[in-house]
Amino acid sequence: MTRTEPATTDAPRPATQPTTGGAGATPRPVALAVVLLLGLLLLPFVPLVLASFAQGYFYPQVLPERWSLRAWQVVLEPDGATWAALRDTVTIAVSVAVLSLVMAVPAGRVLGTRRFRGRRVVELALLTPVLVPAIAVAIGLHVVFLRLGLAGGVPGVILVHLVPATPYVVLLTAGVFANAELELEQQARALGASWWQAQRHVTVRLVAPGLAVAGLFGFLVSWGQYVLTLVVGGGRVVTLPILLFATASGGDTAITAATALFHALPAVVLLVLTSRILGSGALTTFGGAR
Amino acid sequence: MTDIHLDGLTRRFGDVLALDDLHLDVAGGSITALLGPSGCGKTTALKLLAGLLRPTAGRVRFGDRDVTEVAAERRGAVMVFQDHRLFPYLSAGDNVAFGLRMRGVARRERRRSAAAALERVGLDGLAGRRPGELSSGQRQRVALARALVLEPEVLLLDEPLANLDAHLRAGMRELILDLQRDRELTLVVVTHDQEEAVVLAEDIALLFDGRLHQHGAPRTFFERPATARTARFFGTTNLVPGHRSGTQVHTPLGELHVPDGAPDSAPDSGPDGRSGRGPDGAPGGGAVWVLVRPERLQVDRGDSDHPRVTGRVLHSTYLGTRTRAEVEVAGVRLTVDASDDTLADAGPGTSLTLVLPPSALWTVPREEDGRAALSDPAPAASVAGTVEPT
Amino acid sequence: MSAWWHRHEDVRTWVALSPALLLVGLLFGGAVVMAGLRSIGLLGIGEGGPSLAAYRQLVTDPGFARSLGLTLYVAVVSTSLSVVLGIGAALLLRRLGAGRRFATTLFQLNLPVPHVIGAVAILALVGQSGLLSRLAAQTGLLDAPAAFPAITFDPWAIAVILQYLWKEVPFIGIVALAILSASGDDLEEAARTLGASTWQRLRHVTLPLLLPGVLSAAVIVFAFTFGIFEVPLLLGPSSPTVLPVLAHRRYTDVDLAARPEAMAISVVITLVVVVVVLLGAAGARRAIRGDAAVTEVGS
Repeated sequence: MTRTEPATTDAPRPATQPTTGGAGATPRPVALAVVLLLGLLLLPFVPLVLASFAQGYFYPQVLPERWSLRAWQVVLEPDGATWAALRDTVTIAVSVAVLSLVMAVPAGRVLGTRRFRGRRVVELALLTPVLVPAIAVAIGLHVVFLRLGLAGGVPGVILVHLVPATPYVVLLTAGVFANAELELEQQARALGASWWQAQRHVTVRLVAPGLAVAGLFGFLVSWGQYVLTLVVGGGRVVTLPILLFATASGGDTAITAATALFHALPAVVLLVLTSRILGSGALTTFGGAR
Repeated sequence: MTDIHLDGLTRRFGDVLALDDLHLDVAGGSITALLGPSGCGKTTALKLLAGLLRPTAGRVRFGDRDVTEVAAERRGAVMVFQDHRLFPYLSAGDNVAFGLRMRGVARRERRRSAAAALERVGLDGLAGRRPGELSSGQRQRVALARALVLEPEVLLLDEPLANLDAHLRAGMRELILDLQRDRELTLVVVTHDQEEAVVLAEDIALLFDGRLHQHGAPRTFFERPATARTARFFGTTNLVPGHRSGTQVHTPLGELHVPDGAPDSAPDSGPDGRSGRGPDGAPGGGAVWVLVRPERLQVDRGDSDHPRVTGRVLHSTYLGTRTRAEVEVAGVRLTVDASDDTLADAGPGTSLTLVLPPSALWTVPREEDGRAALSDPAPAASVAGTVEPT
Repeated sequence: MSAWWHRHEDVRTWVALSPALLLVGLLFGGAVVMAGLRSIGLLGIGEGGPSLAAYRQLVTDPGFARSLGLTLYVAVVSTSLSVVLGIGAALLLRRLGAGRRFATTLFQLNLPVPHVIGAVAILALVGQSGLLSRLAAQTGLLDAPAAFPAITFDPWAIAVILQYLWKEVPFIGIVALAILSASGDDLEEAARTLGASTWQRLRHVTLPLLLPGVLSAAVIVFAFTFGIFEVPLLLGPSSPTVLPVLAHRRYTDVDLAARPEAMAISVVITLVVVVVVLLGAAGARRAIRGDAAVTEVGS
């Protein structure tokens, strides 16, 4: 038998009083520290929410003197800039996610399941674009894209977003395939399935959730991308980050705040939904989706 | 040599009572096994001894010292875990030296002691290896050396032989026995395997459902089990229902003369669960199981004047060192083992006469109430041949 | 054809890898090569042969040196603080009993939030007329926005660093938490019975376990905080500014002659990041001695 009894939590020492509780007991100082930590991390959202509902939010008001939906009405105006930016952002991010996945599935399967000469080099080659700053890529590619007529348009922005997104999605996909029990594919073949049937009924079902998450991360990489869009889009492709930056420079704090929240919300909702589906353990990789 | 006294040790996890009022005395310099099936509370008991868990109630004493409130790191008891738990980022030598380092022993001294401890467990020259580069048996030895180097008063081993291949188990067992003799350690071993408990320990504490069920020398568990449950756990598969009056037991197999038997008192009612005679020295009365171990049943050769029964062979199996046959006698299934060739011709349907030597017979109380029905076997006719999961 | 295809696994391997590798090679490799060539005056709009003029100009420009210093300072400070606080946060979260899952979800809520939003939010919090300043004014601690310590657009780039911490402490924390929950309490328990006190367990068990994974994560954080553009543009000092902002400024300069310098700066940025990544990878490999590093990566 291995561990049939519940594992111990790190019991405080020296032992002073008998405990009756199981894993549910949290020391009070720990609970307070966690509340403080989470409070600090979520604190920056507070002024955004306050400002977005404020009418004339003058210094030194902490709570606005008058509440108003004006900023949200402007931001959500049917023909306004926000919806146009959202449309472009979603178009680009979905394209990036899909194209990345198309390239990542064969590459990730090979990287995740096979040992071959040059594997480490391939991994390093894929890691570098993820880590090298976007500004270097943007400046380097801009002139080429100008000559190819790709600068200043959505297709060019999609292409340039693929530079950080694809290697990232490939590496995630490799992890998905490495952790999947692909031996089951052979079991299926042994039970009479053809290669295609084995893929469809076994492999796809094993890796689909992981691939969905990898694609989601590709989406998020594109969703938050600023400098690549700024340089290659040349101001003519206005995604949400571009719009937000422009608004922030414009000086209307209420509209800036509402735009920021509008932009943040889908990413946060996607994260929470994914964590519901996959459990928090699968979420470590979110660190990369910036 | 440190003796250990557990006094009413109890541990709850939420609503689960993992260990219930354990009273146990362990003699200094002895080996005691905590034995029982998965979930019986034996590892909980070991962790309470080590100080890795705090008891819900009860005391732990090492000699005269009450260590109940003493933290694990200052208790003087070292636990060796079933899964080794070597530090993966340290070499074998540094793993062994870990505890000395915590005590502030100088590097050179640590190295020397670690090398000596590794040599003692037969791993000289492997100090530079990482845990990942060692076999399972070697890792187990490193874990043992890591504990021994601290020269603990009390050594606690959790399933020390469980993860080893058969050929490694014997060597490990010898090593543990040797070490214990050398150093006069007080050793407590947790195991789920009755054979392991028997070969390692001088004293066995059998736990079921968080309670001490029977405590005594290994021989007692085979020859004088206190209950049907103990008997089954130790491999007695023949339980024949009967009614005792005096030294006679009336059974479907006929009248049997069984002078001794476990007393009629419930064995887990107190710490003194040792089997034997009742308080008045007389065998118990009323409903009993008659127990006979399969290897103690003999095939009749006509040269014995002990009671005999004749039945029909249901099937027989050749097991290498012995042959086992299932025989139906008067509606009761009996299992018989023979290490010679007396069962060689016992094919299904053949008639077989078995001898029941009185010295092989033992009785335990047979309770008819609901709780006993759960823990005790159903009538032998339907369960004979079942084996206690280990 | 089919038989040949099945016999040559290495061919299949490289065919499977080729779309992704081609994309990376053409676009990323192209970008780096273009920047390199143009930084030495090739393929540019102007005429003339290869020259190191752009680099010579950078070396002699005290503004560039100060920018490089500022960028390194911001990246090193942000990375170190993120590592320390992230590990601390993970150790705290691990000790939570009930509500741990909920707290962990809240803890990583910032991770998918784009940096521009974080920058805007930090500005609204710690800017001179931000929420903290207003709270201080309400409690009578100060009477005007200007009296609030200037930590936005300041030479020490404090708001920039705060924004990075806001984002990267959860990142390091989640990586550390994943390592800790994979290893459980087992080794700490073993250390306890061998006589290790609380601090000794942290020092000799927990931190060594965290080292390889957290080191890799720290490399990612460094690369990121060294190279990001929008946060220092919105929150940071303007003179000197960080290298990415300086590169963009030169690139969009009306004077096209400044472009090779922009390229040279982006080459420097790339080189610094590549060197740090290689050092970090070597360090992480040594820390786990050849075992496969399981690390998550970010962009």
